[in-house]
Amino acid sequence: MLDTTAIRKNLKIIIDGDPWIVVDHQFVKPGKGQAFTRTRLKNMITGNAMDKTYKSGEKIGEQANVEEVEMQFLYAQGTTFTFMDNNTYEQYELSEEQVGDARNFMVDNMTVNALFFDGKPIGLELPNFVELEITETDPAVKGDTVTGATKPATLSTGYELNVPLFVNGGEWIVVDTRTGEYVERVKK
Amino acid sequence: MRGGTSSPNGFPPDLPAVLKRRHRIIKTIRTFFDDSGYIAVETPVRVFCPGIDPYVAPLSSGNAHYLATSPELHMKRLLAAGLDKIYQLTRAFRRDESGRFHNPEFSMLEWYRKGADCRGMMLEAEALLRYICDREDVFRERYAFPFLNISVDDLFAETCGWRPSTDWNEDRYFRDWAEKVDPFLESVDAVFITDFPAPLAALSKLKDQDSRICDRIELYLNGVEIANAYSELTDLHAHQDYIDRVMQKSTSLGKHVCAVDAGFMDAVKKGIPESGGIALGIDRLVMCLLGEKSIQAVMAFPETRL
Repeated sequence: MLDTTAIRKNLKIIIDGDPWIVVDHQFVKPGKGQAFTRTRLKNMITGNAMDKTYKSGEKIGEQANVEEVEMQFLYAQGTTFTFMDNNTYEQYELSEEQVGDARNFMVDNMTVNALFFDGKPIGLELPNFVELEITETDPAVKGDTVTGATKPATLSTGYELNVPLFVNGGEWIVVDTRTGEYVERVKK
Repeated sequence: MRGGTSSPNGFPPDLPAVLKRRHRIIKTIRTFFDDSGYIAVETPVRVFCPGIDPYVAPLSSGNAHYLATSPELHMKRLLAAGLDKIYQLTRAFRRDESGRFHNPEFSMLEWYRKGADCRGMMLEAEALLRYICDREDVFRERYAFPFLNISVDDLFAETCGWRPSTDWNEDRYFRDWAEKVDPFLESVDAVFITDFPAPLAALSKLKDQDSRICDRIELYLNGVEIANAYSELTDLHAHQDYIDRVMQKSTSLGKHVCAVDAGFMDAVKKGIPESGGIALGIDRLVMCLLGEKSIQAVMAFPETRL
């Protein structure tokens, strides 16, 4: 059983049978009083978030063994997403909810990490940065030097985001999958 | 932009600039005290009694010694020895305190003035902050002076719906502080929190007009506790009562109990003069002034870089 000293970002613990991940934590010690750790936890199956405050030294739960398995994203059909284990060639299906926001950044044949808990796939972990193609945006404006000015663009996945004015349709960009924001243009 | 921002030796690239600004702030602080009649003093870091607080754990330093959790006890001995206005910039050590606003070893500014009370000490802390902000263009607009004031009762009534001075409940108080009061204070630039409940008096006096409240004030900047001021306890029996309560509490919590130094008790018997005292966290203050998110960002060697 882990206690509060084990709390760190991305620690995975079991609470009421579900795996939860520590998204954020803060040590709080009001003057002349006992110390606490305030945490923000995310349920790795449902995606629900909750705040939980632990007294220093309090038991927080068993460590959750969430396995990462490298998989290839094969295709999406309706609300079902099919993946293949790169080692065993076994195929797994994930629902729209389980895939979550990751669908905005996945293209066919992309390699992703699927998360397994108790032998069942529960979600995906994308690389922090992925390269995606812009399918639609206004043409680049020459000579426009306004720093920070942006325009809307659509990616091959259908995801919409803002990009700098100098980026053209058909070009590839790096997107931060954690924030969904443009990072830089890449030459292909 | 992508990946880590640390240089090969593990220091953030902006550390030299941060340390220069930290140095300027500390230099200004010393000038403030040197120019207003304060004497800079030094007290031991390695001591027998590291402090009197059941919730602050000391670090052992071998041979029955500990590292001081604050310079309070020795500075009060200097007050009793006849020094009227003293300040000290020193290191303090607290075990198991790690986080964005905590590091087991940190820098503390503590000062005492004979004849003052906690309100007077806080006004002096406010004057010190104004003095620092006036000397650096980048700090000039950071805080609006004078600072706001709110009592603990009003703060709890606002954020938790109850009043600690009339319905004291220690567990509820600290949990509510951690879960509700602390997040609320993050939205406030600068505020004095006044009128703490008597059970949290520590070595401060109780109010003459209302013994449910003690003469203790805390300063919060950007949701972080920066300073804590007392009208210092002088009465011998009140000291003995407090020490007995801390001993009982520590024992019931299963914590190690250090006997209070005979030297400190002698000073109390001889007479600590009516005075005000205040401790201020230097790392936190620098963090707030520089707009950083953690005290580690303004320290050359936090525990993660030892």
